[in-house]
Amino acid sequence: MKYLPFVVRNLLRNKLRTALTGGAIGLAILLVCFFLTMPGGIDRLLSEVTSNVRVSVHNKGGVVYDMPYAYVQRVRSIPGVTAVNPEVWFGGAYEQEGMVTFPSFALDPDAVGNVWPDYDIEPLALEKFRRQRDAAIVGRETMKKYRWRIGQQVSLVSTVWPVTLTFRIVGEIPNDRAPHFWIQREYLAQAMEAQGRQLDTVGTIWVRVADPALVNDVMTRAVAMFRNSPAEVNAETEKSFFASFFGSLQSFVQIILVVTGLVALCVLCIAANTASMAVRERGREIAVLRAIGFGRSVIFGTLVAESTLLATLAGGVGALLTYGFSAMIRALSGASMGGNELGALTGFLVTRDIVARGIALSVVVGLVAGIAPAWGAARRPVAETLREVF
Amino acid sequence: MSLPLSYSVRNVRIRLRRTALTIAVIALAVVASAVFLALISSLQRTLVSTGSPENLVVLRKGSDNDGSSMLTLEAYQAIRFFDGIARDAAGQPLASPEMVVQPTVWTTRGTRENVLARGVEPVALRVHDQVRIVAGRMFRPSSGEVVLGVGTVGRYEGARLGEEMPFGRRRWRVVGIMEAAGSSFESEVWVDVRELANDANRPFPFSGVRLRVAPGADREALIRRIEDDPRYALEAKPETDYYADQAKSSRSLYVLLVVLAAPVGIAAGLGAANTMFAAVQARTVEIGTLRALGFSRGTILRAFLLESFGVAMVGFVVGALGTVALAAVIGAALGGIGFTAATFTTNVVALRVGAGDLGAAFLFAAAIGIIGGLLPAWRAARLRPVEALRKA
Repeated sequence: MKYLPFVVRNLLRNKLRTALTGGAIGLAILLVCFFLTMPGGIDRLLSEVTSNVRVSVHNKGGVVYDMPYAYVQRVRSIPGVTAVNPEVWFGGAYEQEGMVTFPSFALDPDAVGNVWPDYDIEPLALEKFRRQRDAAIVGRETMKKYRWRIGQQVSLVSTVWPVTLTFRIVGEIPNDRAPHFWIQREYLAQAMEAQGRQLDTVGTIWVRVADPALVNDVMTRAVAMFRNSPAEVNAETEKSFFASFFGSLQSFVQIILVVTGLVALCVLCIAANTASMAVRERGREIAVLRAIGFGRSVIFGTLVAESTLLATLAGGVGALLTYGFSAMIRALSGASMGGNELGALTGFLVTRDIVARGIALSVVVGLVAGIAPAWGAARRPVAETLREVF
Repeated sequence: MSLPLSYSVRNVRIRLRRTALTIAVIALAVVASAVFLALISSLQRTLVSTGSPENLVVLRKGSDNDGSSMLTLEAYQAIRFFDGIARDAAGQPLASPEMVVQPTVWTTRGTRENVLARGVEPVALRVHDQVRIVAGRMFRPSSGEVVLGVGTVGRYEGARLGEEMPFGRRRWRVVGIMEAAGSSFESEVWVDVRELANDANRPFPFSGVRLRVAPGADREALIRRIEDDPRYALEAKPETDYYADQAKSSRSLYVLLVVLAAPVGIAAGLGAANTMFAAVQARTVEIGTLRALGFSRGTILRAFLLESFGVAMVGFVVGALGTVALAAVIGAALGGIGFTAATFTTNVVALRVGAGDLGAAFLFAAAIGIIGGLLPAWRAARLRPVEALRKA
């Protein structure tokens, strides 16, 4: 510790160089910290919006393929299933706003509270949703976006079914989760019947399982139940269902990680270069220090401490800045999109753990960069160095 | 009196290790910035370059993409004979009825992606003149055959010429491969429209119609006529506008990439300039000596600038080669970058390093060379020779 002022003085000797090196290290650590949030961020986001006891049963061919409505009853009969809800894509477009679309689904109002108890929908709203044929429950974000109020009437043109229906909003889903507009299946079915067509299919059957331990069993049974039928099914947990929507970000993350790796390497070169320069410049001084009795370990220690101190300080600042940086990205991407799959990125947070890892990495960069030149300087025979001087 | 060029060259050679380090740093900075730029431009090329300005996309009113549209047979039959639609030699209108579904397909890596399966009739190849069959042939209607966009080949289970690709409710025989100038048609799978409708259990076989506007015809009048027809509630827009609108949903990704690329560039630039700076600054004594020998400030400045610029250019060349190699490695390892558009279907984006990307990286490297060389050389050249020499 008593050498600390000496180390600091040495760092302040060439302020521009120190600033440039520190800036490069700080920025690199900042980036690395941000990227470290990516895999965990996606996972955390998925865990947050999904339940581990909710399972999606859909056609094996994909969610755009439907299944016979009769499957709903059969899935309900699987042991361990507490509630099921058939979901049909309504594809409603909001006329008044220039025909914008948002996810809208027709489903069974009776089972909403049992399948999605974690959505915390007001019991009164659920009751109205059950009783009023034209009732709709809307996600809070969608309500805000179009400035809808509870009790308001909204007309949606279906882009899938040949109908235009008017709904009365009876409640909101008090979080920002997936479904944005829920309507009664029966209402859609009647509108279709008026045109002589039957609504006898279902897109996704949402299943709530009594116990997380039974989830795998329920999924296996559901798949086995419809094997070799005209519509074979795939069952997956809600988390895995939504994970496939974010899967496309994976390759971007990979490329960005490759580039980050390159930048980190680049920064290591820079730091090493700076350290070796600092040593070279001070050849004479080091020789004098050695000649007046400072040991090799002191020379080595102070030089390594110099590069480590710089890297750690700069990296620390960079790591802490990631708090601000991730907040900025959240603001930017949140403003430019309306709830598509990239909305996932708005949930990314830099945790203390990541800041700690960033700082640890900067310590390593400082050590690695400093060791080689410091080793060389400490080992050089005093006489040889002094001879160069005089 | 000017310093001979050989002075700069020799300098580089004597300080070989440091020069190599400088070159490496600049090369890494070039690779980092060029890869990011290439990522952005590749994404843009795939998403925005799709479609032809002579084509119209006709969808049910309110559908923002053809995955969520439906069109009745009678609507199709009516509009295909409207005035202003191009016709082929046999007098048939160049109107391609199409249906789009997004089946889940397994990649060869064991992950799932939603592929855009487009049900078409053979006329589609004449309407989409971007699309060419480059291997095999077009499918025959009602025979369970498919044609693959080149981006899907090898990416998905069974997605190879002559193999069978499972999606929807059945397996389909791959009989042809199509290319479409890097546009998103290359990420699609084309099937007979009626077979696909049948497979997907769709009551209406068509989700939309693509029309080719006749040369010289009034496009706006045709659009008005389609949209004003009260019987069908349709809307029409130029195909290029349609894909440009689709690409809007990925804007936030550009914002993200730029926000990431900027600090990458700054970090790399700072470091590279620093390294260059150091290379010049370490030679203050030498500069003093040169001044004492009678070389003018301008001469010294020019010589050092030339040297640093030359080193930066070597760094650029190394970096450019590295970028191309890295893009090739990424291409081989990932096979094209899957990017899910707003319609939940996967666009396979080929990471291609364009001249523009390398041009921007060149400017970046040149700036590093000039700024990194100029400032310290200027500072050193301004020192009085005596002072500079005293530093020794």
